[in-house]
Amino acid sequence: MTRLHLPAALLGLTMVAMAFPVQAEDAKTIAATICSGCHGEDGNSTIPMFPRIAGQDETYIIKQLKEFRGGQRKSDVMAPVVASLKSEDLAPLAAHFNGQKPKGQDARDAKLAEQGKGVYLDGNENSGLPACIGCHQPEAVGHGVYPRLAGQHPEYLLQQLKSFAANERTNDASRLMRVVAKRMTEDEMKAVTEYISGLGPK
Amino acid sequence: MRGEKLIALQARGDALRGEISFEPCQGCHRIDASGRTSGSYPRLAGQHGTVLIKQMTDIRAGRRNNPKMEPFIGDHVVSPMEIADIAAYVSNLPIPKEIGQGPGTGIAHGKDLFAKDCATCHGERGEGKGEKFYPMVAAQHYRYLLREVKFIRDGDRRNSNPEMVKVIGQYSDEDLEAVADFMAQLVAPKK
Ligand code: HEC
Ligand code: HEC
Ligand code: HEC
Ligand code: HEC
Repeated sequence: MTRLHLPAALLGLTMVAMAFPVQAEDAKTIAATICSGCHGEDGNSTIPMFPRIAGQDETYIIKQLKEFRGGQRKSDVMAPVVASLKSEDLAPLAAHFNGQKPKGQDARDAKLAEQGKGVYLDGNENSGLPACIGCHQPEAVGHGVYPRLAGQHPEYLLQQLKSFAANERTNDASRLMRVVAKRMTEDEMKAVTEYISGLGPK
Repeated sequence: MRGEKLIALQARGDALRGEISFEPCQGCHRIDASGRTSGSYPRLAGQHGTVLIKQMTDIRAGRRNNPKMEPFIGDHVVSPMEIADIAAYVSNLPIPKEIGQGPGTGIAHGKDLFAKDCATCHGERGEGKGEKFYPMVAAQHYRYLLREVKFIRDGDRRNSNPEMVKVIGQYSDEDLEAVADFMAQLVAPKK
């Protein structure tokens, strides 16, 4: 299992933030004091291991935060963060990050991204891999229970696919993403995440 | 007829809800339910609602093998009510123009076979009959049709109508190719 190793400096920063619970916390303050160290103040993290959450669907964010807290989604990093939040903070936080403008990057490897486009649009008929576009929407903007993927760090996307395939991430309703990820080859995972990372505003 | 098939058939499906419930299906069957011209995934758009309900419940009960689709149609994914909703939505979608075609060389022979052995149930123009669960076979992708008639003949599609199995049981591979060639190019009648 690939565990994330936090840079010590960042961890220290969060500890500090958590040690001084902000009074009358509004979402913006929490975002600036607690979340920004890892996800960036506007949710556009620049560090590959921390997912971008700007523009992410609100219900999806709330679901993830609740599941980090309940342990259905395991993360040694996010669990203590969410434990420090009050239940009524979750919805305003989700609305805050949903309201931020997402900012991605160009795909680094255009040829690989082109291969990944095929996976995204068509899946693989031989292995029964459904096309990602069916659930995650054109341009990977997401919708409802299907998260936005566009412009995400490719490293993060790849890591999530691998942990779905290995049954390490098991909070996907109806096991849908686990089934999808298990049908993917490593090459397909690398290609499609490269493609997705280059979608959306830069 | 028992169980969830009956529940789904009696339920009043809601096409608006069905549009949402159909989302996990789109990765294979496409957003417009047109399937793939390669025939890997059938067209569902415009198929009779009753047929869609029967096939969905047969597949998830294991009466029709479909390992690729099974994890997406399990009862942990869609409820009997959602089956009715999906059927209401998909059966009203327009039939796409682009349909995977056969070689064209078997159409004449296929036409004769179809008129003689198939039209009583599937209709002269392949339109099927919803009340009787006879699928529309017009304007379906050739490779899908060919695969299904082979499954039916060889006993791999276990939920098939026994009378049909008897007829198709006599067919050679060439006959099956011809009749599939013919069905794929039939234009679906307007509703
Ligand atoms: C110490 C670093 C750190 C801090 C602080 C932090 N996060 Fe996270 N967050 C992570 C990591 C790492 C992940 C990915 C977890 C995994 O591996 O699944 C994550 C994942 C998430 C996700 C899921 C994203 C997705 O695409 O599924 C959300 C939502 C989220 N964090 C919101 C927040 C919010 C809101 C805050 C502030 C209250 C916050 N995080 C603070 C590190 C952090
Ligand atoms: C049948 C619907 C479906 C299909 C098809 C599908 N996904 Fe997903 N995906 C989901 C759902 C639902 C989730 C959210 C799981 C959750 O609630 O935690 C998800 C989550 C993800 C995540 C995690 C996002 C994050 O921010 O942590 C990634 C990465 C992902 N999908 C990639 C893909 C790729 C790549 C494909 C195509 C090969 C694909 N998905 C196809 C339903 C689907
Ligand atoms: C992983 C790909 C995949 C997904 C996802 C999928 N299907 Fe299918 N579906 C198939 C395949 C393959 C067949 C044809 C099987 C065969 O060859 O007999 C099929 C056949 C069908 C049929 C029978 C059509 C006919 O003419 O008899 C129906 C109805 C159907 N699917 C509905 C759905 C619905 C509804 C969903 C979503 C809940 C869904 N499918 C999701 C692959 C898929
Ligand atoms: C006695 C009525 C009857 C006759 C005659 C009949 N069929 Fe069928 N056919 C059915 C029924 C009922 C089904 C649906 C079977 C099921 O429930 O799975 C079906 C299904 C099919 C399918 C699968 C359609 C799909 O969407 O998956 C094909 C293809 C087909 N028939 C072709 C033929 C051909 C070709 C002939 C003539 C050689 C024929 N049938 C004769 C009743 C009939």
